[in-house]
Amino acid sequence: MAVLDSAPTERTPPITTRVADVIASEWTKIRSVRSTYWLLVVAAVTAIGGSALVAVSERSSSQPPIGDPVAWVFIAWLEYPVLAVGILGVLSLTSEYASGQIRTTFAAVPQRLTVLAAKASVIGIIALVFGEVLALASFPLSQAILSGRHGATSLSHPGVPGELFAAGLSLSAIAMLGLALGAIIRHTAGAVAALPALIYLPLVVLTLPYPWNDTIGKFTLLMAAYQLVSEHSHTGLLSPLLSLAVVVAWPAAGLLTAGVLIQRRDA
Amino acid sequence: MTIRKGPPGVIEVEGLTKRFGSLTALDDLGFTVQPDRVTGFLGPNGAGKSTTMRVILGLDAPTGGRALIAGRGYGQIIRPWRQVGSLLDANAMHPGRSGWQHLWSVAQSNGIGKRRVREVLDLTGVESVAQRPVGTFSLGMKQRLGIALALLGDPAILICDEPVNGLDPEGVHWIRELFKTLAAEGRTVFVSSYLMSEMALTADHLIIIGRGRLLADTSVEDFIKANARSDVLVRSPQADALTTLLASHGAAITADGDHGLAVTGLDAPTIADLAAAQAIPVHELTPRHATLEQAYLDLTQASVDYPAGVPSGNEIDKETVAS
Repeated sequence: MAVLDSAPTERTPPITTRVADVIASEWTKIRSVRSTYWLLVVAAVTAIGGSALVAVSERSSSQPPIGDPVAWVFIAWLEYPVLAVGILGVLSLTSEYASGQIRTTFAAVPQRLTVLAAKASVIGIIALVFGEVLALASFPLSQAILSGRHGATSLSHPGVPGELFAAGLSLSAIAMLGLALGAIIRHTAGAVAALPALIYLPLVVLTLPYPWNDTIGKFTLLMAAYQLVSEHSHTGLLSPLLSLAVVVAWPAAGLLTAGVLIQRRDA
Repeated sequence: MTIRKGPPGVIEVEGLTKRFGSLTALDDLGFTVQPDRVTGFLGPNGAGKSTTMRVILGLDAPTGGRALIAGRGYGQIIRPWRQVGSLLDANAMHPGRSGWQHLWSVAQSNGIGKRRVREVLDLTGVESVAQRPVGTFSLGMKQRLGIALALLGDPAILICDEPVNGLDPEGVHWIRELFKTLAAEGRTVFVSSYLMSEMALTADHLIIIGRGRLLADTSVEDFIKANARSDVLVRSPQADALTTLLASHGAAITADGDHGLAVTGLDAPTIADLAAAQAIPVHELTPRHATLEQAYLDLTQASVDYPAGVPSGNEIDKETVAS
């Protein structure tokens, strides 16, 4: 293999170093544009505000919540930041296509799958960490609003830490789905429009007659995320492992498609 | 798999064909770019220069043929920015990112240190504005930043697409000297332009393409010798008699307008003396020199996609000297 080295001073670094360098590069890119911070602010405001609003309406309700109260609050929690976090993923690729920067990126790193994987890692980890922070912030707030009412619970309640973690994980999955859409569609407007279509449109199966609505509906991304977040207190839900698999399968399918297309198409 | 190690710094383009639907952008294009000199890549707009560069950089997949860097496809190079620096489009940056961040992100991807980022910012004279968002840069500053980016990996090969666009005269002079210096250091400098006049001043070698085909692969010197021909415009009421006379002395003559003769092979004083000796009246006698630009236009004329009212034929500017 030494024959391949045309630069005699440079030894080929191990692949782990090279991948770490590309991740570092993507990290620099994401934190050096203002849109990242705006989207995270929007996600934070909608997540914390959304869960507080649901808690307030729950507080004034005389009826006990259906199913798991924590999940009930988190349903609102998830629905609101989904778009902002998904768009964060979309933009990390479409902004490069829009400006032409993508050509510099691929000329610097012709291993396009490495670039896609590095972007997915950076976006995924930001969304995960940020999602956990939001979960930890919005949980005490909504519980303070609900305190003394039905539905109130505490962090130490069994299952709650797992639910909080699942909420962050779901946001991470949606961010990576956004990245995949950005790679597949390559235009900001198109990908931003496709994102809610992919998240919300499958929910129309919920209007199908029973049992189809239930059977198919469970496998939509948002429903799988709800099931992952909720405490599985009632029957008919997917098992935690299966809901996790469904939540992961959506971005995984997207990224696989993106990986095939990104290598095949001209930059 | 056979591994061929080509000469370092050499770009080989072999039988390159690129079709976009029914449009053929590159048509069996082949040439070699050598180190130690500036190679100008010339052609009218739409000739396929940018497409060729994108294929060389592994960004576009060719329909046929291949492009090799030191014997390898670009995609096979690990950390290619250390071997090949490129500037395709100076505007291709996120406008909100600072110049420093733009360079640093590319440096990181190829394991290049911060010291080198500072060096190239300094070298290209954009250090003072490096913390500003690139969206606020003028095109000239973006070109300088783009050159800084291309030089980031201290590459053996430099590929630039229209780097002179948007530069002020001082910038143009700077970039010309920079390319010459880099070539003198033994690097391969491959620069595209649609301006012959620019390349005549910068390049040592020329690769001229039109409609995706190779039109010329020649040294600038040879191109000037072969193309910067001169002739003499002669007008006479006895054009036929003069034609016979001059032809008998070895001149090549073509009709040029009303009673005009374009004469090559004899200089103006000789023509005047010959005419005077035979008492043939001469009304005009004008030595003319073709510019390199004109020679280039003649060469690419047939391949221009959208000729914009360019007069056809061998129009030769009076009293203009080949650059």
